[in-house]
Amino acid sequence: MGDAVLLNVVLYLPLLGIALIVAMPEGQDDRVRRISFGVMLAQFVITALLYLRFDPSIAGLQAETNLPWIADWGVYYRIGLDGYNVLLVLLTAFLGPLVVAGAFSAIQKDVKLFYAMVFFIQFAMLGTFVAQDLLLFYIFWETMLIPMFLIIGIWGGERRIYATVKFVLYTAFGSILMLAALIYLVWSQYQDSGNLSFAFTDLFGTRLTVREQGWLLAAFALSFAIKVPMVPLHTWLPDAHVEAPTTGSVILAGVLLKMGTYGFIKLGFPLFPQASQLAMPIVMALAVISIVYGACLALVQTDIKKIIAYSSISHLGYVMLGLASLDLLGIQGAIIQMVSHGLTAAGLFLMVGMIYERCHTRELADYGGLAKALPVYSVFFMILTLAAIGLPTTSGFTGEFLVLLGAFNAAWPLHLAGESAPLVFAVIAVSGVVLGAMYMLWFAQRFLYGSTRVPHGPVADLNRREKLILAVLLVPVFWIGLFPDGPMRKTEGAALHFQRLVAGPPLQATAATPPALVARPRAEATR
Amino acid sequence: MNWTMLLVAMSPEHLLLAGIVVLIAIDIVSDRPLGHLPVALVAVGAATLVAALLAIAGYAAAPFPGQLSVDSSAFAAKAIVLVLAIPALLLARDEFPDGPFYALLLSSLYGACLILSADSFLTLFLGLELMSIPVYVLVLLGMKRPECTEAALKYLILGGTATAMLLMGVSLLFGFTGSLSLDAFGQLLDAGSPMAQSAVVLILLAFFLKAAIVPFHTWAPDAYEAAAVPVTGFMSAVIKAGVLLAAVRLFGFNSLSGRLVELLAGLALVSIVWGNLAAIRQTSFRRMIAYSSIAHAGYLFYAFLGDGEGRFQAVAFYALVYGLMNMLAFASLPATGDDVERDRLENLKGLYQRAPFAAVMIAIAMFSLAGIPPLPGFVAKFLIFRNVIEAGYTTYAVLGLLGSYLGIYFYLRVLLYMFMSPAPAGLQPQSTARLALGATVICLVPAVVLMVYPGGLLHRL
Repeated sequence: MGDAVLLNVVLYLPLLGIALIVAMPEGQDDRVRRISFGVMLAQFVITALLYLRFDPSIAGLQAETNLPWIADWGVYYRIGLDGYNVLLVLLTAFLGPLVVAGAFSAIQKDVKLFYAMVFFIQFAMLGTFVAQDLLLFYIFWETMLIPMFLIIGIWGGERRIYATVKFVLYTAFGSILMLAALIYLVWSQYQDSGNLSFAFTDLFGTRLTVREQGWLLAAFALSFAIKVPMVPLHTWLPDAHVEAPTTGSVILAGVLLKMGTYGFIKLGFPLFPQASQLAMPIVMALAVISIVYGACLALVQTDIKKIIAYSSISHLGYVMLGLASLDLLGIQGAIIQMVSHGLTAAGLFLMVGMIYERCHTRELADYGGLAKALPVYSVFFMILTLAAIGLPTTSGFTGEFLVLLGAFNAAWPLHLAGESAPLVFAVIAVSGVVLGAMYMLWFAQRFLYGSTRVPHGPVADLNRREKLILAVLLVPVFWIGLFPDGPMRKTEGAALHFQRLVAGPPLQATAATPPALVARPRAEATR
Repeated sequence: MNWTMLLVAMSPEHLLLAGIVVLIAIDIVSDRPLGHLPVALVAVGAATLVAALLAIAGYAAAPFPGQLSVDSSAFAAKAIVLVLAIPALLLARDEFPDGPFYALLLSSLYGACLILSADSFLTLFLGLELMSIPVYVLVLLGMKRPECTEAALKYLILGGTATAMLLMGVSLLFGFTGSLSLDAFGQLLDAGSPMAQSAVVLILLAFFLKAAIVPFHTWAPDAYEAAAVPVTGFMSAVIKAGVLLAAVRLFGFNSLSGRLVELLAGLALVSIVWGNLAAIRQTSFRRMIAYSSIAHAGYLFYAFLGDGEGRFQAVAFYALVYGLMNMLAFASLPATGDDVERDRLENLKGLYQRAPFAAVMIAIAMFSLAGIPPLPGFVAKFLIFRNVIEAGYTTYAVLGLLGSYLGIYFYLRVLLYMFMSPAPAGLQPQSTARLALGATVICLVPAVVLMVYPGGLLHRL
């Protein structure tokens, strides 16, 4: 019971933060900043405690709260931690204080409203991760639109209005159809079992025809794929990222994009297993297209924020590839890759924000030779770049490597059975790694080396606050890179659960069984 | 006749009537415009309270058998309609210092209460007229520009048309069934003869006109724009809730079938789409709200596709949330000397800088009207579409949801103006008047309660 209370405290601390900020008198911006940071830090500490106490050997929910909310409709306030969300909750809580600290000097306008909105989105994101009831999940999912709309729209760049409206309309379109699908799903489940419930666990076994599953999966997938974002639904992302203030970009890249992949792993695929199996080749193809196309677009950008924005599309393609492989290693790799991307992309966006505060331009061509002018900055930037590429010992390596391993693992037996498409996809995905190294290193080379060009320079190197933020951010990057065992153990149960739910009902016997057979021994071998 | 029953069963109406009498008496006795607002507030507040208590107690009676009966859902409906009138009263003092406004508003409320317990078309007709006629005057009462007369006349003529259609429908119904009771309408729904169908359609048309469903909506934008802010709020929240809840009573527990479904869903869908699209182009706040209310009438009529039991719950909850949010927006609208200026959307630019509280309140109202969670408008919309899907009309539900998607942009535009645009030159920082603040709180507190725990109210409806 104690854990359940703690989880509720974690979830509602941001609301307390909003209340504290609103209660503050006007004109005390510094105190607002300090209070925000304190609340976020407290939230992280409690979340870390919950993470440590999370026991991967227990199947099902931990720290569970289950109270009737709209009892007549079977809607419950049901939240809890499981292998799916525990890492992402930790990631969200970890980024919270860094996001707040990162905005100390950048945000000078409407400070109170700004931090209130940061808290609001933190609340919505955590709620989305911990919700275990479909309506509750949907409510938190949609709630994120409101603070993000304001964050981009008020504190964003020049074309912020366009970007924020595009962001809201894009994401809302997906969710509207998801709403219809979720009502239909619950209603079907009710017809089937006579038990009106929105709980995930009750909905997993819903009997639907493959045709129905296909439609419902399409509706859910549209919503999730827009958030991921998967090519061709990605066009909102560069605009939102470029126009958003640094904080907005960090939240977007760090956590918000993971909502889409989390939706797929937690709901989209497991709810509609047969349709998912049929759709896997399409998902895989889109994932590979996202990897390669995102990387190619990143290669030709001249705006440094856009490079990182497009690299996000590419990196999240790996997550989708890992999930689509239905191989245990691939699935675990996907989860690790989500966290890893959250850390590295957040770090890179923070660093872009730091240089933008100093030099007021994001044009790559304006910069050069920062390694001489800003040595500390350059060291941190280089480390994050290498982590994003997936250099061994960093988290990026663990994620990408496991995903690719999983993809090949699943593809090889299929290839032997005469179906080579997954193998081709896996091979193309590997080329994405090369492309990734290419655009990031080329970017770093033009940015950090060559003749020194510092717009509005000379400028000061990183101050203590910034150094501390980046140093703290690098801790988990190396921790996951060097000791992936811990986080992987926490998520293994969820990965197996996902695999069982999606690959379980045999539609095509060849597709369902071999990955499970192959995956198991190798998963043991990696330890 | 059982006098106690008559006294208890119609107590909300009696309280309103007492209020009207006192208001008129004040006008006769004194020429100082002082006591009107408190008297009206006490009357409406007491009526709301009594209706809510009787609804919770589950009181049911038929003081005039066959003409008028009450039960807990009728009281709940009355409580909803009455509570929405309170913010309108609070907003009115600056614009309407004198007596007629309050007496008219109360008699309109009396009519709304009457239709919510009507059992026969006679009572329904009486109530509808009693509700509508004062509003024609109210639109004209706060006249600030010449177009108001035109708008009021338009409203009067179209309202009269609605009355005529209702009467024609009812006479056909009487000819077909020999009865004037609302139950007879239920029998007509399944009857195949052209006369029965004409009766149903004519009666429905009257409700479409009153609720401003496309293509019978043209009076609404003009009337909403012409009326003073409290009257616009009253029309968009109270009258709409009254008409829709009366329609629920009219249809009873009958499920719709066949062509009627197509008619209802088709017109509702057109209203949703057209209302949302036309709202995008508006430059006046009240016109925008008028088109938004046309779209919302569409959602409300969608609820009739669902099965009979869930209909009242869906419509009542939706009407309450929608009304509260509309009132919240009107209550927070900053007051400027000139009515036309106050109404211009452009003047909301930079409102957050000038009046942060008002801007946040309007933002809450807009997000809720757009149906974005976690605000209560989402649960209301969810409830309606859930009922539609459960009744098997998945396609209509998807189309309706897509239609509601069209509505997101114009609500966002208000936010773009308030939060993301610089203020136009020459506008001073404003503080909200105390009474308007009271109205805001009266709208906000129930809305927050409904947001945090909708299950509590839904369980009772």
